[in-house]
Amino acid sequence: MTRDEIRDRVLTIFAEEFEIVDPGLDDDLREAHGFDSIDAIELLREIEDMLGFELSQEQKKRAMDNIRTLNQILDYIAGLAPEPA
Amino acid sequence: MERRVVITAASAISPIGHTRDEILHSLQNGISGVQPLRDDGLLSDHIHSQVFGTVSADIPFDFERKYRKTMGPVAFYACQVVKEVVEQAGLSPEQLGSGRLGVAFGSTHGSPTVQRGIYETFFSKSGKRFASIGAVDYLKSMVHTTAVNITKMFGITGRVISSSTACTTSSQSIGFGYEMIRYGMQDAMICGGADEYDTTTVAVFDNLLACSTAFNDTPSKTPRPFDADRDGLVVGEGAGAVLLEDYESARRRGADILGEVVGFGCNNNGGDLIFPNVDGITATLKIALEDARIDPGDVDFISAHATATKMGDVIESQAIRNVFGETTPMVSGLKSYMGHTMGSCGAIETILSLYMMAEGFVAPTLNLDSIDPRCAMIRHTPGLADYPLKVVGVQNFAFGGVNTCLLIRKM
Repeated sequence: MTRDEIRDRVLTIFAEEFEIVDPGLDDDLREAHGFDSIDAIELLREIEDMLGFELSQEQKKRAMDNIRTLNQILDYIAGLAPEPA
Repeated sequence: MERRVVITAASAISPIGHTRDEILHSLQNGISGVQPLRDDGLLSDHIHSQVFGTVSADIPFDFERKYRKTMGPVAFYACQVVKEVVEQAGLSPEQLGSGRLGVAFGSTHGSPTVQRGIYETFFSKSGKRFASIGAVDYLKSMVHTTAVNITKMFGITGRVISSSTACTTSSQSIGFGYEMIRYGMQDAMICGGADEYDTTTVAVFDNLLACSTAFNDTPSKTPRPFDADRDGLVVGEGAGAVLLEDYESARRRGADILGEVVGFGCNNNGGDLIFPNVDGITATLKIALEDARIDPGDVDFISAHATATKMGDVIESQAIRNVFGETTPMVSGLKSYMGHTMGSCGAIETILSLYMMAEGFVAPTLNLDSIDPRCAMIRHTPGLADYPLKVVGVQNFAFGGVNTCLLIRKM
């Protein structure tokens, strides 16, 4: 998937699952849209569905610790690959 | 310190209506909220009892997603009635967040609908390795989901009590809330209970042969508390919330006082987990009267637990007779209108009693066409009648041998 395709998919998830429509790519999602840790966990599940493989606990923790904006989410997804079980 | 405790707001979602006017209309016109059991594609075909006390009011839940995301159906009901109570009382964010206002709210077992979704993942044939259990499924389904969704939505920072004692869940909520205020631990408590539409509860009682099955084609004819032809309970759904306040602060702020909680009795039968126990219930009623420091003759009306099971109604009648003697208060079984709304029944039946107290009438037990001779030693409400109620008792008994009795006085 290209970054644009990933962005479109993620924006759809944000609109449908989190009722956050067209957030700015560099908005602080928590500050600007009330996107909290529960939402982040749900988003990771959506990302697993999108990519078709299960994320490791380490990959998930990295996301929870570091991601604040949509651009960071897109970077994160672009860098994901299945880890050996 | 012992303080007086008053009820200053109330709201119910019930099978006979949502608003006060709807509920009063049903009570005054003998309208039942029992309907055919809905097909749930899972259990409903296997259940013998094909009736359910169903909420049919169209309720526009307008909660923001940040609140909705941790709520199963039971929490929607709970938060809606609490929202109405908060609005009725005009509680400010400062009062709600003062730490002096708490919540006592529960349900029979969280959200069975959400729990069912969790169990389905065990049997999923999708082959997905990644879990389909949502991050919030626990928050939606846990036993205290109603209480803490309420605290979140309204910014409540006081105590949380989340009783989950089946049919005494919300009567305990009110009773424990009353004790919190009476003994000075909190100044106000939002109390109640809720339960959502759920066929697993029906299946449980159905398996115990405790559900009504003979009136599947005429749902409004069952349940039939105290009637010779009663054949068991009808499971229902709903929610009820009341605001309890310290009398002095309620008076100072000019609150509308719906009634005073003057006594609460709560005990356990100390034995069998299912069968009602006449000694246990007799003791409960006496404890409540002692707590209220009133005489049996002061009580005008009893809202009986009266589920319409074969033995439950007989034993409750015996206990009432034991405590009140030959001239008992008038007794009605309000479940005859709604079915057994489980964790919410104590709160809903309290609220219906408050409405009747305010309007000065008593509603008779619906479907009581021929009194069972074994239940005839108490004074059944003879028909819809204007009656100035001064003190009412609300009785509830649960699986596990838990009994409660609330005594409420008109001010």
